[in-house]
Amino acid sequence: MRTSIQTIHLPVTLDVLLFGAAAAAAGADRVPVVMGMKQEVVTAQEVLASLGSQHPSLRTATTGARLAVNQAFAKPDAPVRAGDELALIALVGGG
Amino acid sequence: MNTLVALVTGPITPETEARVRTGVGSPQTSAKGDGDAGARLRFEGVVRRIEEGRALFALDYQTYDPMAQRELESLARGVGGRHGLTSILALHSRGRVGVGETSFVLEVTAPRRAEAFAATAEFIERLKQDVPIWKRPVWAP
Repeated sequence: MRTSIQTIHLPVTLDVLLFGAAAAAAGADRVPVVMGMKQEVVTAQEVLASLGSQHPSLRTATTGARLAVNQAFAKPDAPVRAGDELALIALVGGG
Repeated sequence: MNTLVALVTGPITPETEARVRTGVGSPQTSAKGDGDAGARLRFEGVVRRIEEGRALFALDYQTYDPMAQRELESLARGVGGRHGLTSILALHSRGRVGVGETSFVLEVTAPRRAEAFAATAEFIERLKQDVPIWKRPVWAP
C-alpha cells in the first residue's frame, strides 16, 4: 500500500500590539495577523508584510517599520513563534 | 560613566527630577563635578504651543514598557561610550504633558564641549528614530 505524506499548513493567528498613529489608524491597540506556518516558524519580515496586507489601514505604518519580538527589535529574518509578544514599532516620536 | 535613565509619569519638574536623582539604587550624577568633566550640557524638550499650525493644549506620550526603558538605557550606554562621556542623564515623560512643560531632559558631562555637543545631538536623533515612545496631540478648544 502506498502512503503519501503531506505538509499541513496550519493557519496561526498572531496578535500584534499597536501604538501611536498606527493604533489610531487601525482603531485598536492590537490586531490579529493570520499566518500559515510551516514548522511553526515565520520571519519578522513575513509578519510585517502580512500585517500590511491583512490590514490596509496599516500599510503606511508598516512601510519602513520594525517588529519587536518579546520587547526587542527583531531583524527581518528573525524567527517568530506562536506565543511571542509582537509589537509594531513605527512612527515613533519621543524627545 | 554614570548613567541614569528613567521614564517619568507626567511633566518633568525639578521635584520629579530630584526624586529620580536620589532614588534608592540609582547611580548619581552629581551637581558638583569630580574634575574629569570640563563640560556639562543640558537639553530640555518642552511642549510647544503651536504644532502643525494648530494650538496645542498638551501632548499625550505613550511608551511601550519595559522596552522603552531598556532602549533608552541602551541608547545612553552607546552614545556615552562613543563620545567618551563621564555621565549621562536621560528622563522622558509618559502620559500627559502640557504646553510649556518639560517632557524630556538630557544632561551629559564630558571632558570637552565637542563631545558633549556631539553626544547630545546623536542621542536626540536616535531617540526620535528608535525608542518606542509616541506622542498624540491634544488640541486646544
